[in-house]
Amino acid sequence: MSVGPDPSALIALLDREQAPLLTRRFYGDGPASPITASLAQVPELLEVALPFIAAALGPAGLDERIKEIAILRTSALLECRYCVQSHTAVALDAGLSSEEIRALRGDGDIQRIFTEPAERVMIEWIDAVALGRGPIDPAVRGRASDALEDHVLVELTLAVATTLMLNRYCTALELPTGAATLERLAAEGLE
Amino acid sequence: MGPPEGVAKLSPLEEAIAAEKVGGRLWFYSNYHCNLQCSYCLTESAPLVKRRELGAEAILARGREAKALGFTGFGMTGGEPFILDYMPELVAELGRELPTVVLSNATLFNERRLRELEPLAELPVQIQISLDHPDPVANDEMRGPENFRKVVEAVPRLVERGIGVRIATTLEDPDAVDPDQRDRLCELHRSLGVPDADHVVRPIINRGRAKSNEMGLLAGFEQLEPELTLTADGAFYSPFAPTVRGGRLDTDLLVSRTTTPVSAPAGALLRIADQLPAGHDASIGIR
Repeated sequence: MSVGPDPSALIALLDREQAPLLTRRFYGDGPASPITASLAQVPELLEVALPFIAAALGPAGLDERIKEIAILRTSALLECRYCVQSHTAVALDAGLSSEEIRALRGDGDIQRIFTEPAERVMIEWIDAVALGRGPIDPAVRGRASDALEDHVLVELTLAVATTLMLNRYCTALELPTGAATLERLAAEGLE
Repeated sequence: MGPPEGVAKLSPLEEAIAAEKVGGRLWFYSNYHCNLQCSYCLTESAPLVKRRELGAEAILARGREAKALGFTGFGMTGGEPFILDYMPELVAELGRELPTVVLSNATLFNERRLRELEPLAELPVQIQISLDHPDPVANDEMRGPENFRKVVEAVPRLVERGIGVRIATTLEDPDAVDPDQRDRLCELHRSLGVPDADHVVRPIINRGRAKSNEMGLLAGFEQLEPELTLTADGAFYSPFAPTVRGGRLDTDLLVSRTTTPVSAPAGALLRIADQLPAGHDASIGIR
């Protein structure tokens, strides 16, 4: 995908040629992601934000499958087109089925498709954090407290919170989904 | 091993400046607009471009911060700095802190402005004035009508007031300049009261309008001396860095958007300088 100047875009995504000196190490070999190419506008933010995002959303105590469930579900609830599309592709790579992905995106019965009790509690927690205002519903809180270790709750909640931040960032700045991702989603019937 | 007793330890910035790893001069882009529209301008400056003005208070505050950090001089460029009414007083304030050089086209130096500049004679301040060719027609081709006449009128009036003046000549290829042209240019600046020691010759850099016009030398960060440069858009690697092309600011040599505290971009510049290859020799870092 080209991340060069697009006159109709809200902001310029900086390509490798325009990448500030201290951001170049984040560009890798292929095209930079729109998040990288936009954050490069402010190098001092990119330098702290990208490692943070990678740590918060990448596998740690929780594996990639659970992290992608949190990211995709939150992005679907927040209606972030860019995050839903790009993380549908990542979720496929993480081994989620098309049916699971559709359910997380709101097109399927979560309770029927996700049968693992701990995953059900996690999805309930994700929904409560992503959509709620104020404290978490006591019943949801109780089920999460009973089923999930403290460190799991911390990591899961931070993954949801970081995704919320990115959902608003990507939506407000109208970040474009790459052509390769769109082609892949079309091939999988997951546009 | 630390410094001998009674000798203050140098900060990393002071050490880097002493080792000539980074330049000791802090540059400011006071503004981007200009009364001229030169064909090789790095910043596409012209009368009606976006001003991108940094502001007198911000410049002075950052200058004082920089002095405390160990910077050893200031540079001011634009745009045309003296298009701003507050520039003579600001330059004097900076000159009271550290040696200062101001780049100017010298076409706005009327009697009132010359009077305002008189306090600079008592300060370590130099005005660096562009003069590219000994022939008015050839000079004005690149720099605009009447430029030559205004410069040769302004320089002696500054010199006679005791104000430091340098002449900067910008050429497509300084090594290929016609010796006769060079000799006549040097005779001219001497006749205006500017000695050879205060004449700098520098290449056109292939950025900004020069790039659009396919002029000048390619310059990446490996060819430029790291000299922290503050603008309204952020901190840059060199005064050759915050260029504009097609109305768009180049970001390839952006260090940070943060310009204060100055220690933040200065620290970032040091990190970049640490990545320079061994034996790095900035070859075109003349301003």
